[in-house]
This record gives sequence, structure tokens and C-alpha cells, in this order.
Amino acid sequence: MSQDDMLGDAVERLEWDERKQDETPVKKWRQLTRRTALTGAAAGIAAAALEACGSSKSSSSVTGVSSSTAATSSGSSAASSIFGVSQSYKFTLVNHVTTNPFFTPTQNGAADACKLLGCSYQWTGSENSVVGEMVTAFNTAVSAGVDGIGVCLISPTAFNQPVEKALAAGIPVLAYNADATGNARLAYIGQDLFVSGQEMGQHIASLVPSGDVALFIATPGTANIQPRIDGAQATLKSHSSITPHVVATGAALTQELTTIEAYITGHPSYKGFFAVDGGSTQSVGQVIQKHNLNGKVKGGGYDLTPITQQTLASGALQFTIDQQPYLQGFLPILELYLYKASQSLTGPADVNTGLKFLDKTTVIPYNSTKSRFEGTGTAPGVQKS
Amino acid sequence: MAVADSTPPAEAPPQGPAKGWARRGGALSWGQRFLTLREGSIIVITVVTFVYFAASVPHFLTGSGLKALLPYFAPFAILAAGEVFVMINAEIDLSVGAVYLFAPFVFYKLNVNAGLPLVPAMIGALIAAMLVGLFNGLVVSVVGISSFVTTLGTLFTLSGLTLIISHATQVTTPGTSVVKVGTFAQIFGGGTYSELFWAIGIAIVLQLVLSFTRWGIYTVAVGGNRLGASEAGVRTKVVLTRNFVLCALLAGFVGIMEAVRAATTTPDPSGANVILFQAISAAVIGGTLLQGGSGTVIGAFIGAIFLGVLQDGLNLKGVSANYFYFYLGLAILIAMAFNTYVSRVRTGSGRG
Repeated sequence: MSQDDMLGDAVERLEWDERKQDETPVKKWRQLTRRTALTGAAAGIAAAALEACGSSKSSSSVTGVSSSTAATSSGSSAASSIFGVSQSYKFTLVNHVTTNPFFTPTQNGAADACKLLGCSYQWTGSENSVVGEMVTAFNTAVSAGVDGIGVCLISPTAFNQPVEKALAAGIPVLAYNADATGNARLAYIGQDLFVSGQEMGQHIASLVPSGDVALFIATPGTANIQPRIDGAQATLKSHSSITPHVVATGAALTQELTTIEAYITGHPSYKGFFAVDGGSTQSVGQVIQKHNLNGKVKGGGYDLTPITQQTLASGALQFTIDQQPYLQGFLPILELYLYKASQSLTGPADVNTGLKFLDKTTVIPYNSTKSRFEGTGTAPGVQKS
Repeated sequence: MAVADSTPPAEAPPQGPAKGWARRGGALSWGQRFLTLREGSIIVITVVTFVYFAASVPHFLTGSGLKALLPYFAPFAILAAGEVFVMINAEIDLSVGAVYLFAPFVFYKLNVNAGLPLVPAMIGALIAAMLVGLFNGLVVSVVGISSFVTTLGTLFTLSGLTLIISHATQVTTPGTSVVKVGTFAQIFGGGTYSELFWAIGIAIVLQLVLSFTRWGIYTVAVGGNRLGASEAGVRTKVVLTRNFVLCALLAGFVGIMEAVRAATTTPDPSGANVILFQAISAAVIGGTLLQGGSGTVIGAFIGAIFLGVLQDGLNLKGVSANYFYFYLGLAILIAMAFNTYVSRVRTGSGRG
């Protein structure tokens, strides 16, 4: 008994020392596996997990692939003994665009976290940002008595009551990808959309000192992209020499490409073309590339698709903003699990997944690999492409 | 009558309706002949829209401006051509968007996972699309479920299947690259004029099929009066089924060409359903009746051009994002109201 107390103290102390570090999966892994190793529970499995942890730490991008499979398969059996959880938790992730490829890495992240922890999750919500459908899906999850819910709060108020009801029923709720002020959710994991738009505005202002620029948005009014363009416009307002023009491009990728090609060829005097959604961003890159405008006009936008990455590397685009969608699936499951496992003692923590600006150089590892982390592959780990 | 005569092509001096009818087939004026064409009114509206944008938007009527206009209508003209055949049968195919989404993934799978060369992989994908059409056609004609319900079911099933086989992951279309357009891509969608040539070729061939072959005549007969046609010995089930197969084949072909043009195959069904609406709109604007029995491929082609000109023009005019759909919708309503009015005047003058 006394030895257990001592070890517990040691673990506490180590975690206290690490408290200032960023909340990364690696840190969580380290803490989790340390607890296992030091307290001696399931020592053999913990060793395997530790090994996996060590190699994944050293593998910033390419190496350390083989051991991650071992980690996931051993993890599911390890987690229950580490956390003293006997049942298999069921979580629900409510999404506003369930079939959008942007969220493929998010689903990968959630699936990986579930494999790691030996729990399961359901991916549900609306296909076209219909708030009513999302609320219904949310309430269904509550009445089904799931163990936790992650939800994209794309409406400022619609989720307030459902979330409060869920919390009152003892179901933890986290927001991911989109947040609403005044909602009772326990934590938010995702990008601050408006702030990211403001940062984009700064980037635009530094790339294009003066002149006309176009800002492309696929579907105006959509809650997860409109705040970005609002943020960009808010920043550009203070740069009176830049005149932004907002252009709607359409929901289908081919439609976005058509619109952007017509707009760019129709406005040869414009100095820069920027987009706030993934499809428009890759189309800007593609059109600049096709018409040999590399360097003559500036381009940039959001998210990572194969084409965005290629045109970033070729110099057609100057930047793209990665908001790490994988983490937006992995971390909610992890936090919900810890909340349940600790019986509400710990778990929820706000995580800003990002304002990760990528340029010609930093995009290289994305281009040379395939992975579940970026939604470009289905096998575990990172492969060379 | 007054309206008909005041439209630009109506050069003839005003004449009484009865007189016009009496002289039909004889010395009808050019303007009246033109307006007696089913597509006459939508051609007028398209030309007026085109002239308006050409005059008011600086870069609309330039070489690069016109090239940019092509993808606005060429793919929809092909999709609408297939939809016309189904709609003349008084049926509708709501699954064209889903086939458009599905076929390029079959193409990708056959090329990348099964290792087939590009062209056989594409043929395989087109056969898969035709099987979907065959299924739709058989369920509608043999089982007797309404085409709206059947193809709605196929729409969801196929969208789901696409998401499953693609793991909801966007991929680079085989045979394409952003940096260099290869021969395969040049021919099938990647070249600047490739989709235009396909659209014109397909429209001409299918219009000839519709006007001059047994297939086309049976199609109109089945749409106009199904019972009558079947009693006259037309095998209505075969006619219905092959039109669904044709429609799905064209949807799959356009899906692959568009995936080649964008160099990306994306599994997002919400975008594909926008494509569906555009295809049906082009057919309807081009004069195909929703209740069947009447329609032309050329009309649908011009309907697609009208929608394309409208979108391109509004886009180049710099209509702010928040107003775009508002103006687009209003313009379609006004154009359709005018279209209906003109054709009423046309038939009115005919009947005297």
C-alpha cells in the first residue's frame, strides 16, 4: 500500500513538472504510460506501449511506422487496466458536414483513439449544416445514454439547452471544430475561426501591400467558414490600400474551380487571390498554376488537399493554414474517456488545434508522405508516397 | 403577339394570328419560323443575356473569358442530354449526381488498386455507371416503383457507397497532374476544349437519335401515352430501361471528365447534388416538360448555356457573395416566366 502511495506521489510530481508543456497526444501518452509502468499494473503491456511511445516520439514524420500498429492493438487491452475501466464506453461525435472530406482525418483520429482506449464512437449529425438535424442527433445520443458527446457548435444558441440537459444527465459534452460562447460545454478543441481569419488578413497584407484582392468562399453563411472571411475582412479594413472582393464559389469542387478560373482570368489587374475553404484554396492554386501566374499574383488559403500541397510546393500558393483535423477527433475521445474513467475528476481541457501556417518549405513532409493523420492514407502510421 | 413581334429576331411586319396560321408551311416569315421552334424563346433569352454581359462586363467577351465560360455549361449540357431522354418518358433520374460522384471512384479503384490501364479502367467505370442505370430502369419499368422514389433511393445508396469505398478520402484522379496535362487528360476533360467537343458531339448524336431513329420515336411515344404506345406494340419496358442506362452512362462519363479536369476525385455528396439540380434545370429551361412527352437535346444544350452565361456573368460582374444566389434565382425565374410567355404567344399565334 505504502509503496503505491509513493509511486502515486512520484507520478503526480512528474506531471506537475510537465504542466506548462502543450497538451499534445505525446505528452498524454507519456503520462499515461508512465502511470502504468510505475504503478506496475500490466507491466508487460506497458513496456510495449512505452516502446511504441518512444519511437513515435522520435518519428516526427516518416519513420517509426511498424510499432504504431502494436501500440494500437495492445493499447485497447492496456487501457482498461490502466484506468480501471471495466466497460467499453460509447461516445458520439455530432458533426455538421458528416461527409465532408475535411473531417476524414478527424474520423481517423477518433477511430484511433477508440482503438487505443478500447471504446467505440458513432459519427453522426447533418450532411449540410442543418442545425435541426444536429440537435436531433444530439438528443438521440442523450436519450440513448451514451458515455460522452463531442459536438460542433455551429449555432450560437441552438445547442445551449440540449447540452445542459446532457450535462444534467451526467453525460460529458465537449465542443470540437466550432464553438459557441455561452454554451455550457466542458471544453473546446479546435481552431478559433475568427482569429485565424484575422491572421490570414495579416498574411495577405504582408504579401500584397496594395491593390485589389479576391476572397473566395464556397458557401457564404456557413458557420465554419464565414467567421474566417469576417476575420480577414476585419483585418483588411485597417489596410486602406487593399480592396477585398468577396466571391461565392459554390458547394461542388468542380463548380468552385470553374468560378475561380473565370474570376482570375477575368480580373488580370488583381494582385492576390485567397480562399477560406479547402476546395476553393486548391482551385486557386490550380488556376494560378495552369495560367502560369506563379509569382505574378499571390495566393493562399486554408486546409490541406493533395493539390493545395502540390501547388504550395510549386510556388503557385504562398501559404495554407492547417488546423490539424486529426486532433479534433483524437482529443475529444481522449478527454471524454478520461472524464468518464476518472469519474469526472479530470479530462476536459481547451485545446487550440491550430493556426499552423504552411509554406513552400514546411509543406514538403506532407507531400512526401501518406497517412491517416492527414486523411491521405488508410494504413496506420505514416507511409512514403 | 405584340411581344413575339418585338423580340429582336422578329423582323416580319405585324400580321394577324389567323393569317400567320394560314400561311404556315408556305411563306412564313423568318422571325415566325424561328419562334415556332421549340427552342426559339430560350435562344432569344440566352442571346439577350449574353449581349448584356458582353456589354457590361469588361472581360466577358475576350478569348480567355470565353474559355472560362466553357466549363460552366459543357458538363451540364451532357448531363442534361441524358436527363432529357428520361424526362421525355415522363420519368426523372435523381441519381445522376450520385453516379457522377461514384464513377470516378470506380475509375480510381480500377486503375490504382486493380492496376488496369487508364482507358480500360474508364470503360470499367462507365460499365458500372450503366449497371446503376440498368437497376434504375428495371426497378421503374418491371417492379413499377416511381422513378422519383427509385432514383432517390439510388442517390442515397450510391452516395453512401462512394463514401465507403473512398473512405471519405479525396484522391488525385489517375492520369492527371496539376503541373502537366497528359494526353489522356487532354482528351477526357483536362484539355480546354475537350468537354466542349464532347458536349457538342453528344448533343448532335443524341438529337439525331431522338428525332430520326426508332429509339427516339418510341421514347416520345412512351412519354406521350404509355398505354397507347404499348398497345401499338412498343416494348415500353425496354424503352424506359435503356433511357435510364443512357442517362447513367452520361452521368458517369461527365463525372470522370470533371474529376480529370479538377485533377481531384472528391467524395462529397452535397456538391454532387448541386450538379443534379443544374442538370435538371438545364433540361427544363431548354423546354423539356416535367410531365413528359416533349423535349429536345438541343434545347437542353441551350438551357445549359443560359445557366452558364448567367453564372459566369454574375461572377465576373463581381456580384458580392451574399447576393449571388439571390440574383441567380431571380434571373432564372424571370427568364422562365419570359420563356413561358413567349412560347404561349407562339402557340397562341399558331392556333389563331
